[in-house]
Amino acid sequence: MVFSGLPILQLLMIAGGAASLTVLLYILKLRRRAVPVPFARIWDAAFRDQNATELFSKLRRLLSLLLQLALLALLILALGDPKPKQSLLEGRHLVVLVDASASMKAVDVKPSRIESAKAEVKRLVRGLGSADRALIVQMGALPSPLSTMSSDVTELDPAIDSLRASDTRADLERALSFAVDGLRGLPKAEIVVVSDGVLGDVTEISRHVELGNVSLKFLPIGKSGTNVAISEFSVRRYPLDKSRSEVMLEVANTNDRPAQVELTLLGDGTIIDVSRFALAPNERLPRYYQDLAGASRTLEAKIRFADGHADDLPADDHAYALMPERHRARVLVISKGNTYLEAALLLDEYLDVTTVVPGRSLPSEHFDVAILDGVVDALPNTVAAALYLNPPEGGPLKLGARLTDFGFDTWDRKSPILRFLALADVQVADGRALTPSPGDRVLGASDQGPILVSGARSGHPFVALAFDPRNSDLVLRVAWPLFVLNTINAFVEEDTGYVSSFRTGEVWRIPVPSSLDSATVSDPHGAQHLVPVKEGRAVYLGEEAGFYKLSAGSGSDSVSSEFAANLSDLAESRITPVTELSIGRQKAAPVSIGKAGAKRELWVYLLAVVLGLSVIEWVTYHRRITV
Amino acid sequence: MGLLDLFRRDTAPRAKRRERALFDDEFQRKLEMLALVSRRVFAGRLRAERRSKKKGSGIEFADHRDYTAGDDFRSVDWNVYQRFGKLLVRLYEEEEDLSIYLIVDCSSSMAFGERKKFDQARRLCAALAYVGLANLDRVTVVGVNDAVISRMPTTRGKGRIFKVFEFLSELEPSGVTDLATALQTFVAQHKRRGLAVLFSDLYDPAGFEAGINMLRFNKFEPYVVELVDPAEARPSLKGDVRIYDCETGEERELTITDGVLDKMERAVVDYRAGIERFCAQKQVPYFPADVNTPFDELVLRVFRRGGFLR
Repeated sequence: MVFSGLPILQLLMIAGGAASLTVLLYILKLRRRAVPVPFARIWDAAFRDQNATELFSKLRRLLSLLLQLALLALLILALGDPKPKQSLLEGRHLVVLVDASASMKAVDVKPSRIESAKAEVKRLVRGLGSADRALIVQMGALPSPLSTMSSDVTELDPAIDSLRASDTRADLERALSFAVDGLRGLPKAEIVVVSDGVLGDVTEISRHVELGNVSLKFLPIGKSGTNVAISEFSVRRYPLDKSRSEVMLEVANTNDRPAQVELTLLGDGTIIDVSRFALAPNERLPRYYQDLAGASRTLEAKIRFADGHADDLPADDHAYALMPERHRARVLVISKGNTYLEAALLLDEYLDVTTVVPGRSLPSEHFDVAILDGVVDALPNTVAAALYLNPPEGGPLKLGARLTDFGFDTWDRKSPILRFLALADVQVADGRALTPSPGDRVLGASDQGPILVSGARSGHPFVALAFDPRNSDLVLRVAWPLFVLNTINAFVEEDTGYVSSFRTGEVWRIPVPSSLDSATVSDPHGAQHLVPVKEGRAVYLGEEAGFYKLSAGSGSDSVSSEFAANLSDLAESRITPVTELSIGRQKAAPVSIGKAGAKRELWVYLLAVVLGLSVIEWVTYHRRITV
Repeated sequence: MGLLDLFRRDTAPRAKRRERALFDDEFQRKLEMLALVSRRVFAGRLRAERRSKKKGSGIEFADHRDYTAGDDFRSVDWNVYQRFGKLLVRLYEEEEDLSIYLIVDCSSSMAFGERKKFDQARRLCAALAYVGLANLDRVTVVGVNDAVISRMPTTRGKGRIFKVFEFLSELEPSGVTDLATALQTFVAQHKRRGLAVLFSDLYDPAGFEAGINMLRFNKFEPYVVELVDPAEARPSLKGDVRIYDCETGEERELTITDGVLDKMERAVVDYRAGIERFCAQKQVPYFPADVNTPFDELVLRVFRRGGFLR
């Protein structure tokens, strides 16, 4: 027995003082209240029996004093925090990896798998030996330690209570790496994985994680469940008609039975489509909703069984998407007349087009984009960007050799300007090769030279096309209006590569149109997170599905945007639990949970004894047994 | 003027008021009523006609005895001599005033609690004294504890009742009870025998029997009026206490519980039953006087019991 509380000397001093005080109080207690009576002889008669047991009475009083001293001794002992010697010996060191992935939100066990896991972990903690230590780790997209390596139930319990399942996949590999690192050098190391086994493909983990002498145990959670999911959800505006949009989604039936489901689409919170259909067992069914109108900002999809009842995993029954915001762009066209150009500009009702004949004075208003059709008029600073079509000499680029009978042999397919464009067989009669300056970017070229270049002059971006489109068959193709509109959108920073929703559990890089160091992300629950901005992108690991808000900067430089996030992980949607776990050749052993209370501190028992004795003393005193 | 003086100034008038209230006008009206009642109960009897056992010079014939030299010739019954030829002397019952001795226990136990026993004893004493005085008996009031501590000279006549009040008001309970010793002194001081009414709680450590026997053995006719305070049978005590006798100071350490109080109650009942049994055996009239019963009711009970007035 060793004392880990107060030092022995201090304990002895307290014991001495308290014992003296107890004896003093006992003596004072023996000084009874004096009460006069008219005739003591009658009392003698009444107490004849009591006098006969006076010796026993004295003995009982002595017992009362001894009991009080025993209580005192127990309390002093408790203050010393006694521990058995074996508690100083090596105990087990456990890292408990609790699966906090989306599948743990399943409600096939009541109230949910994560709550069931918490209860199991609490039982595990209470069953630890007195020398055992445990570390609680939440295993989500990233492993998050929630406690220190401790044997103190009062520290481990709050950590277990703080476990929360997220809308992400659990990264077992990272969690095991973390656990192995944490257990390195510690004796009797164990990793306990508490999970429903929905951990994706674990066969590759053993290549990257070496468990060594660390023993692996698995505590399975969950029974079985039925689930249908929205596994993909995406929305985009039509490039040629941004008032309308189309939705692509995929629904999946993860069960071995067919399912009748009801899919609801909501635009800006209002139902815009409800459809019912059947899903075959384990079927993944892509669905397209074309030409959708009625949603200007948000789109949501909800799925449930057609009979109205919900499945066992609500987290993947709801998907979110945000459509890019629209801005009315002011376009200045300097042209002698170009029917194809005018037709292309007519396709986007959000364009505010002003046409000026070359040589005339230019309007003094602000324009987002100027399109110079065969001219190179000097542009005022009120014009933000320019698209040059077949520019003559004197333009932003020097002209090279004359080209004839050529086309696009190479082009930058990732450029937002050339997005959705099929340029492979465009035929051009003639034109001039462009000579890009340093910093300019060649977006398209024939084997004879660059024919499409982007860059910036005096802070104003530009795009130059080396030929008159009317001298080609480009104007007869769909690619022509797309090229014009993509270029305008690129200039007005309307991202044609807009992502309608992110996937939870991944690191998101959200465009921030400014050079700020940090931004603030508000998650769907309203909690705010300060996130770093790197290379014009706010970097954030999102773990919850729903709508997010991002804000950055302050005052006139402040920007804000919204985006959506979805689980979109079919692996997590397959919630059928797995009862065994193997990492490489090591199969996880089952967890044996000791009896609760086996590791309680000894002082707790001492206090319990004190309490029990106090109750006995109280009862016997008031029943006049020990007095 | 010190603090103690303030207390003295306050307490003295209160004590006086208390004593005045003891024998107030209401009390005196009740005494009148009791006197009337006593006359009605014993109607037809003459005043001072309580006959003594002594044969003497009264007017009522009692017996004859042989003539002896020196007898008064006037008392010779000549008719008998004429008929039987014997000289016999006529004897008459001697008529004398009754002597009533009212003995009030003035020990500390009589003042226990709120002096209810002592006050009741004094009221009863005053009431019986008044009735006695009204009947032209010779009334003597004596205060005792372990000795005769105070004595009111023998008196008679209704008008002397205020002397009785004054005497009783000045009695102050103190000391221990020793009836045997005190009454031994009493009988030595009072050669004229008569009715001796003892007002006491009979809490005599030496035993109440010795005191009563002292009266009996000295030819007094003892009456025992036991003052009873029911609160003493079941005191409101609880827990560990050290009790001490208010007279002797004897101490006992006890733990009072409900069971103990029950025992105590039974002991008090047994003690009183012992008194009653003793008095019954010795043919001594015994009256328990509850302190909570009005004194006039108790006096009437004494009258009904008989023996006090003949």
